[in-house]
Amino acid sequence: MLERRNPLSKIAAVVPAMVLVALATEVYLPLALAGLALAILLIGGVSLRRIAWALLPLALVALGFLLVYPLLVRRELVAHTPVVMQWGGWVVHEGALRLGAIATARITALVSLSLIFSVTTSVNDFLLALVQQARVPYRVGYAAMAALRFAPLLRYELEQIRAAHRVRGLAQRGIVGELAHVRRALVPLLASAIRRAERAALAMDGRAFGAYPQRTYWRRVPLGAVDVLFVLLLWGTTALIVLILHALGLLGPLSFVQRV
Amino acid sequence: MIAIEHLTVRYVGRKQPALADLSLTFHAGEAVLLLGPSGCGKSTLALTLNGLIPHSQDVAVFAGRVWVNGNDTRTTPPAVLAQQVGIVFQDPEAQFVMPDVASEVAFGLENVCLPVDEIRQRIGEALAQVGLAGWERATAWTLSGGQKQRVALASLLAMRPRVLVFDEPTAHLDPQGVREVFAVIAALKQRGKHTLILIEHRLDELIPLIDRVVVLGAQGELVADGTPEAVFNAHFETLRALGVWMPQVTLLGAALGLRPLPVTLEQAAHALRSVAALRGTTLTLPNASQRFATNGAVPAIEAQGLVHHYGSHEALHDVSFTVPRGSFFAVLGSNGAGKSTLARLLAGLLPLQSGRLMIEGHDVRRLHPREWSRRVGLVFQNPEHQFVASTVRDELRLSARAAGLDAKRAAQRVEEMLARFRLTRYADANPFTLSHGEKRRLSVATMLITDQPILILDEPTFGQDQQNALAIQALLQSLHAEGRTLVVITHDMTLAAACAQHVLVMHEGHVLAQGAPESVFAQTALLAMARLSLPPIAQLAMQLGLNPPPLTVEAFAAAVQAQRSPASLAEAPVISHA
Repeated sequence: MLERRNPLSKIAAVVPAMVLVALATEVYLPLALAGLALAILLIGGVSLRRIAWALLPLALVALGFLLVYPLLVRRELVAHTPVVMQWGGWVVHEGALRLGAIATARITALVSLSLIFSVTTSVNDFLLALVQQARVPYRVGYAAMAALRFAPLLRYELEQIRAAHRVRGLAQRGIVGELAHVRRALVPLLASAIRRAERAALAMDGRAFGAYPQRTYWRRVPLGAVDVLFVLLLWGTTALIVLILHALGLLGPLSFVQRV
Repeated sequence: MIAIEHLTVRYVGRKQPALADLSLTFHAGEAVLLLGPSGCGKSTLALTLNGLIPHSQDVAVFAGRVWVNGNDTRTTPPAVLAQQVGIVFQDPEAQFVMPDVASEVAFGLENVCLPVDEIRQRIGEALAQVGLAGWERATAWTLSGGQKQRVALASLLAMRPRVLVFDEPTAHLDPQGVREVFAVIAALKQRGKHTLILIEHRLDELIPLIDRVVVLGAQGELVADGTPEAVFNAHFETLRALGVWMPQVTLLGAALGLRPLPVTLEQAAHALRSVAALRGTTLTLPNASQRFATNGAVPAIEAQGLVHHYGSHEALHDVSFTVPRGSFFAVLGSNGAGKSTLARLLAGLLPLQSGRLMIEGHDVRRLHPREWSRRVGLVFQNPEHQFVASTVRDELRLSARAAGLDAKRAAQRVEEMLARFRLTRYADANPFTLSHGEKRRLSVATMLITDQPILILDEPTFGQDQQNALAIQALLQSLHAEGRTLVVITHDMTLAAACAQHVLVMHEGHVLAQGAPESVFAQTALLAMARLSLPPIAQLAMQLGLNPPPLTVEAFAAAVQAQRSPASLAEAPVISHA
């Protein structure tokens, strides 16, 4: 269901929620919106497994934030709040814990909301939608699609090049060696990418690419009533969440500046 | 259909023109083969036919005219030309610009603004013409090289051009892909709706489809023009001197003094059946065990029960073989047979998962990596992939230092290698600016810096034109003559036929057969299963019932000469071309 939505509608649907997350100064709004995002993903037919995989890196980052943030936050921001913990020179104020929790909640919400787009949309469909609905020049969009085809080829080629260098005994251990290894691989990779691009350009021009200011589209990325409905539904739900939190007094002020 | 008048093309930054004052006409419905030595401007000519030159590619000089259906290509819009002349290029990867088959075929049709219903209908038609009906939804990365080339052809056919140009369409394909593409070209020829203009080096397979051969000289001038029979017969010596590739059967005919020269397998078979010397005789060919005396020494490589998995995919299944010291060993198989995995295992680039591997009598599990790389060199398909330094000399020095030579020894060794591989002139040049042949020599030189006795080469002739392929073959033979053990991973059966003493045929990770090339190549069912093709000369030998089949022009000619009695020599064979 989500996969069939127009890519642009998916972006439009989550933008207000993302702005709200950026403005939130309490944990409740981001957490509610993250919940909304997960609910949409599940209702939209994305498997739990897929969501879990996509969220795994997030979980690690969030955990790190939660633990580290209170220790690194600027002291004067939270100095007026009570001390919760003290260990040698490290002092953790209650305000610092709150700020850490809010930052973690916001990141969780942003990533969850972006999954609605990223997990269910092929880059190609997105480019098509940009060309067909957002009036991005088709020459740009289609050149980008052709370039996209290069990605797996270049990855394969990079692997070949690195093996070729390894067999020459040029591999060194450690991060420095690894970096030198990649740097050396760049020249042959670039040389072949340029050659490939030239060939692709000829093959495209040979089929009249860019001959007219317009082109027809055999396959349209549809933008229909369902997409509009989807956007309105998400906006409405987002607004509802804000209203409910406000009524419960959990919303807090909306601001770019975080205060405790 | 297409008229070329006094065409001269010179590229930016070049002194010599790629094409000089060329005048030529292509007629509707004919199949024309364009021949000429490397760099004679064949590809340039192809690009002028649908206006890619001058519309898409900048050139310094474009003089003269190309008329397509009465339209001057300089003033006709590309959209119009694209619907009259389509070009299939060499590299199947670079031509595939959309993610799936249907979108790829639709691409050109959308560019010329056809309505959607029309596009949909044409996609189906075009795919049916190349034998890919029902493949609309397949994605690019699931297709083989041959299928991609057929999609490339379908995406041109959908534009309904009357002229189709093929610029080395099989150079990047394995034998299976070559067969697929040739089958489609043959079907197009039979339907007779298109003018076909081909640049291709697999002539024996192609000539039966060809009405006319056009030969360009080194400066892009016209050298010969006529039917295949006329051109190869009247200009044989000129073409040979030019370095133009000719059918193997024609070369064989010349070696045997047949007149007129055969140009197809059928003609050659017909002519040779009348040679008394070949009637009911068994040829005596030096077989591998005679040609190669195993001297009881420790084998260069001994593999037993090699198994290799990538995740759950089994790339090698119980692979066992022995490479005698000093032998020329070919590992044959189509794409995906497991050849490259094997090469990497032998060179120590992949960990040995299961089985036993001995290099010159040493178990690799107990062989220090540096010792291993002192014994085995691996040359990759694309020489450029190996280059890291900014000069040829530094490239070699780097290898020498990596092999543990001290500065003085390294410098000395570098100069030796420069001289040995005829690279001294280019010692200070950037490796990327070398020609194909020079790059290949440099990549081999970097791998022989400590005089490695075993050299593995992964697809050394892949994507090369005929001249480069021959130069590579000569290089391999000279390395072998020095006493080195060569293991060549390839699906180039002509290379294997010309050089190999032992062949190992692989298919989907299994070893199908191994032994002397003559005995392995005689097992046609086995080759078919491995999706390999016999070289043309061997096909001819099999057709004539020669057993064992000679595999090269030289071997065939020598075998026939040896059998000829004085009486049959006098009997001049006569063939008539229908």
